[in-house]
Formats: sequence, structure tokens, C-alpha cells
Amino acid sequence: MSDHKRKPYSRRKFLRVAGIGVVGAASLAACGDATSTTAPAVTTAPVAATTAAAGTTAATSATTAAAGTTPASATTVAGGTTAPAVISGQGKSIKVAVLGDQTAAGRRQPLIAPFIAKYPGATVEIMPVAGATWDEYFNKLLAMKAAGNIPDVIYVATEGTQLFASKGLAEPLDEYVKKDKAALTSYFSDVHPALVEAMMYEGNLYQLPFDWNGANLYYNTAMFAEAGYSEVGADWTKDKFYEVAKKVSKKDAVYGYQWVNRVWGSWSSWMFTNNSNLLVEEKAPGGEWLWSTFYPNDVAAKNRGGGWRWTAAKANDAANVEALDFMNQLYKEGISPSIELGSGATLQGIFSAGKIAMTQAGGFWVATLKAQGMAKGSYDVALMPKWKTQRHHFGTAGYVISKDSKNKELAWEWLKYLTTTDAMNNELTLKELRATPVRRSLMNEARYGTDGPKNWKIFYDTLDKYPDTSPIPAPPSYLQMRNTFTKYTGLAMAGEQTPKAALDAMQKELEPLFKK
Amino acid sequence: MQSSLKKEQAPLKSSGLFSWLTDNTLTGMARRKALMGYLFVLPTMLGLLIFVIGPVLVSFGLSFFDWDIIGEAKFVGPKNYSRLVDDPVVLTSFRNTAVFVLVAVGFQMTLSLLLALAIQQKRMRTWARYLFRSIFFLPLLTSGATISIVLAYMFQREFGPINYYLGQIGISRISWLNSSQWSLITVALTYVWHQLGFTLIVFIGGLGNISREVQDAADVDGATGAFRLWFITLPLLSPTLLFAAVVGIINALQVFSEPFVMTKGGPGDSSRTVVMMICQAAFPNLEVGYGSAITVILFAVIMAVTGLQFYLSKRWVYYQ
Repeated sequence: MSDHKRKPYSRRKFLRVAGIGVVGAASLAACGDATSTTAPAVTTAPVAATTAAAGTTAATSATTAAAGTTPASATTVAGGTTAPAVISGQGKSIKVAVLGDQTAAGRRQPLIAPFIAKYPGATVEIMPVAGATWDEYFNKLLAMKAAGNIPDVIYVATEGTQLFASKGLAEPLDEYVKKDKAALTSYFSDVHPALVEAMMYEGNLYQLPFDWNGANLYYNTAMFAEAGYSEVGADWTKDKFYEVAKKVSKKDAVYGYQWVNRVWGSWSSWMFTNNSNLLVEEKAPGGEWLWSTFYPNDVAAKNRGGGWRWTAAKANDAANVEALDFMNQLYKEGISPSIELGSGATLQGIFSAGKIAMTQAGGFWVATLKAQGMAKGSYDVALMPKWKTQRHHFGTAGYVISKDSKNKELAWEWLKYLTTTDAMNNELTLKELRATPVRRSLMNEARYGTDGPKNWKIFYDTLDKYPDTSPIPAPPSYLQMRNTFTKYTGLAMAGEQTPKAALDAMQKELEPLFKK
Repeated sequence: MQSSLKKEQAPLKSSGLFSWLTDNTLTGMARRKALMGYLFVLPTMLGLLIFVIGPVLVSFGLSFFDWDIIGEAKFVGPKNYSRLVDDPVVLTSFRNTAVFVLVAVGFQMTLSLLLALAIQQKRMRTWARYLFRSIFFLPLLTSGATISIVLAYMFQREFGPINYYLGQIGISRISWLNSSQWSLITVALTYVWHQLGFTLIVFIGGLGNISREVQDAADVDGATGAFRLWFITLPLLSPTLLFAAVVGIINALQVFSEPFVMTKGGPGDSSRTVVMMICQAAFPNLEVGYGSAITVILFAVIMAVTGLQFYLSKRWVYYQ
């Protein structure tokens, strides 16, 4: 009689059931295999007409391609390398993270089959991680690390080498290299030691350089010809550069020079040529085994150590103030437009549209300029003009083996495989012309003769002929350093602070990073 | 005879673990009905618990720790909060966000209300009404990042079309993205362009809900123009205005895509918002605890602002 007056289902009972449900759902979630190929909203959407180029390497194009794994199959090894003994990869798999979208992953697909042929049963999954800049890419990888699903192999540029190494995210490669030195001798003999040294940290090697980009000067030959200049000579000075940039500029229509607000290939190039740097640099000890093993008679390997150390900030060094003053002067005189922020995608579009005559860029521009319709001969490359020096900077990239990887041996084999000419030609195909191969022998007429700039030899000459060429400053605190650098550079170029005041403020904000 | 016709009845009370569910009584039936309801709601509740309430609680907990994502988290008590109070960049980001909310939400609501009134007027043909609704709603279907990239090109000082056309009417070039004076406004304009469609549809729905009889009575009494808008339309639309304001302010307080893509918070910190600070603390700076502390403060601000809005709504919102 009183049944219908009692509460049919108490709150206590409901919470009990819900609690069981939460525990059950949590257990299911823990068992789940998270994949992280989707970029968050803020970093997706590369512009269709241009590419989202990273600061130093690897441009992506706007075509789509499927990413995915290549299941093991008994295919023969492609290319001209000698087939090594077949080692079992049964049940082993590695995930390889690369910067870019599905196109970037698709471009690397041809690498998998020859590798799988050597390791039957192994699986390689190329995982694209989108990001307009290296920082965004690294941020996502750190989030993956926090989630406990960091990939086995990660493509990392100079900007992240010391971050990964110092945080214990990357496996040192020294013992692997020593074990396989016979297989790597030809690779090292073909790669400039500056690139190798950039991949070292505190005496250990963490990556084998795969591609790189020096910050060279790109210029529009038609705009030059119109102003009465033939080309940028190797003997150009900063004053000559200024004279030409001024002559080429037409008020509110075309500009002599532009740059992007970033660390690589920005006004930082002028810091270097003015014989300065953002940070105080020195060399870490160690690495003797590497130099004596692979570069015993190479003059370029003399005085190399165990990697770079950037020990303190010197943002407001007089030479840096002078360099930023020069940039400000160019802007105020209408020789440079307002600076861009980001990866340089806009800069490529503006350059290919003939709106600017000169800018800094690397080998990765060749493919994108071609895609944007710049014919051979319409642009060329040159060294940065000489100021107090003609020192250049570069960025390089390679793959790290994650410390958390459960298949480090297979991951090492992947790294080793990527050092071969077949793999490098597969990845950096003649058709694609992306980035600049670290192997000197691949910097040839076949690669650049048809579509590249006339003076393509400048790319590797930046290393071979200028021994003081060094990597961009990229300490473990690179991500914070970069934010501070771009923030105050932006203020100075917006005219809201004088270059001196901006660099003083930058110095003040950078100093605590090196006290930690 | 009677006994052969007597139906076999199931026992009223059952036994066992689930007797409370299987009882063949009114109570049992009610319980089964209620349980079905709870089961339908359970997936949403679980989702809310796991993806909303859970992370909020974890974030609150993390705000008392120092954690760089990679190593172990270290308990530091309220240190992150005391640091936050003295951090000029964080305070600047809160100020920027407040200004952004005022500009963006104010502009968004005003513009969408005017557009909704224009679209819903009687002389607007039905096909035109549908056309304009669709056109203004389209930006909402695109991601904020995509819109920000495109508009960043358009706002570019030397090469962007906006300055070009302003130049045609004698206005000199504006450094939309490269000056502290304009960067936040430019971001707000982009945000409004993106979000306008949502508020417009809400207002169109609200205007459609205004009683036909009231409108006819207003016609008969000769109420037109501004008088009609102020004394009839807006009061009857006030619940919708409240909803739009609450949702608009909550969203605007969490703005991220537009300033991140267009200006990266610059020049300097002039367009840096609170969520950008949270992201910056967590990832480039690897200070997840500090980022969590900022998150908790933002959460409190959103709660306070929303509560205030509901409190003040008693004075100006009219429910029919």
C-alpha cells in the first residue's frame, strides 16, 4: 500500500552504480591505445598555396597522401645498396614521429618497404605531428610524453636537440655508432662535421644528421636586373647590400629586403655577420672518439668537441644592438616591410609574387618556390653579405631514439638505414627537392640543375668554405628563449621600444634561463 | 470450475540480489522506469565526469605542484598562486582578456542583434532570409585557426587587401598586427567575424519566439521604430540576450586560436590572453603546475562573471 510513496531508487544506490561505471570506464581508457596524429585546432590548416615551413628543415606541400603502416612483406631491398643479412623484426614495431601533416607522412612511405625487407615481421608507422613551427611540434611531443605514448623515433631539429637530450627523452647513440662504425664510415665521410657536432650534447651524440638548412640569401634576379644589378657577389658587404636594397625598393610597392621574426634566418643572420650571437657560446668536452674515428684527417673537424654549450645571454651586446638598429633603419626607410611572425609561409608567397627582392632562406625553399611558379633563373642564392665577418648559421635535423622505446635496436636500424644514399634520395627525391641533404655527394647538378638556383653550390659552401658557420643558439631552454626573442624583436620593430631598450629587456628576461 | 479458471499470478515480491528491481509491484515498476532514465543519462554523466569534472579536479590538484611533464611532480603548496599574483605578464593577460571580452562580446551582440532585426523584418523575402542566415553562419563552420591565418594575410600592413582598400579612401596604412594599439582590436574583429553567426541564429530564434499577439497589439497601438524596439522587442528578447551574453562571455574569456595564430600575443604582451598564458606555462616553459594555477583562477573568474550576470538578470530580464 505504501510502496508507491517510497522513493523508487535512492541517490545512494545511483551513486553506487555510477561509481562502478566510472571505474569500469577508467579501466577501459587505461587499456586504450592513444594515437596523436591529429593536430589541435590552433596548428592545423596549412595554407593551401604556400607551405608551413619549419625554421630549418623539411617543408610540406599541399597535396594529400595517406599515412599508415606498411605491413611486413618479403620484398627485395630497393636501390643500389648491398643487402645486409636479413635480421628478424618479427613482432617488433616502431612509431616514427615527423613534423607535418599526412602529406609529410606519405612522402616517407617509400622508405618503409626496403626497411621492412631487411627486418621481416617488423612494422614501421610514420606518425605526422602537425605544427607550423618546431615549437608547436615539440609541445605536442611533450604532451605525448606526459600521456605515456611518446613515439619510438622522433624527427628533431636543432631547436629541440638539447631539449630532448637534457630532459632524458633521447637515447645517446654513442654505443650504437661505435658498434656499427664500419657501416657508418661512408656516411660520416660525406657529412660535414659541423652538422654532426650540432647533434651532440655534453659529449654524447643524439642524432645522425639527416637534412639541414643554412640561412643563405635568396634574391629575385628580375628585380635586380631592373635596378641594374646582375647578382649578389661573394664579396658583397653590408653597405653594398644596403645600397642595392634601397635602389630596388619602390615606395609602397616592392621592398628590398624582408625577414621573419624567428631565431633561424632572421635578423640573427646579421648578429652573426656582425661577429656576435644571442648567447655566449662554448664547446662541451668529449666526442674525441667520434672525431678520431670518422674525421681523423679532416681539417674541418679540428677543435670540434662534444657539442655546443650556450651558457649565458648576451642579447644586448653592442653588436646585436647595431644589427637590430640596422633592421629598424631598413623598416623606417621603407626598404623592409613590417616583419612577419611564424614559419615564413607568408614570406615565401611575397617573395614568389615579386614583392621583395631579398630574404634569408634555406634549401627547403627550392621546392616551394617551384610549386609557386618561380621559374629557374627567376631567383638565385648567395652568401650573406659580409659585415665584420661572414659567419653564417644553420639548423639541422635528424631522428632521436626515444628513451622510452621498447624497440631501441629496431629504432637504431631505422636511423642507420636513413643515413644511406638510397634512403636520403628516397626522402629528398629529386622531384621534391626538400630541405638540403647532409650528404655532400647528394648536393649535385642532378638535384638542382633543372629546378634549383644557379648558385646552388652556395648551400654546402656555407659549411665548407666558412669554418666558423655554426648552429643557431638552441640551448635546452630554447622554447622559452625563442618566445622572449620574438617578443622583444617585435616590440623593437613595431617602434614601441628602441632596439637598445628592447634588447636590454630581452637580456633581463633571458638571464634567469641560464641561472637554472 | 473457478479454480481452473483462476489465473496463475506471478508472486508480487521476488527474492534475490535484484529483488528491488524485479519486484512485481508498483514500486518495482517505478524503480525500473527510473533506472532506465538513469541509464540513458549515464553515458553523458560519465563523459562529464571523465572529460570535464575530472580534468578540472586534476587541474586544481596540479596547481599545488611543480611539474615539468617529464619528471616527478613536487608539492609546493600555494607557491604557484602567490607567484601568479606578482607576475606582471599574467596580470597583463587578464587585463587584455577583459578588454577583449568587452570589445568582442559588445560588438558581436550589437552587430548580430542589428542583423537579426534586419533579417527578421516583415518585408524580407523568405528566400533572402534563408540566404542571409546561411551566409552569416558560414564562418562558424570553419576552424578559428584557418580564419585567423587568412585574416592575418588580409590584415598584413603592406600587402594585405584591407589596408589597400583603406588607402583607396585616403586612410593611411594601419599596423593591424604589428602595433600594441591595434593588435587586440584586430584579434577581436577576427573573433567577432568568426562567432557572429552563432549569436545571430540565437537572436533570430528569440525574435521568432516573440508572441504574435503582442506584435499585432503593438501594430494596432501604433508602436513603431525605436519605441517598439526599446519597449517591446528588447524586453521580450531579454532571456535570449541573457543567454547570448552568458555564452558569449564564457567563450570570449577562453579565446586562444585567434591571438595565438595572428599575433602570438604580441607585439610584446599586448594581445596575450589568459589561455595563451596557460598554454605557454604548460608547454614552452614546462610549468604545468603554474599553468594549472592560472587555469583555476580563470575558472573562478568565469564562475564569478556568470554568477554576476545571473544575479543582475533579475533586474533586466523579463520572462513571459
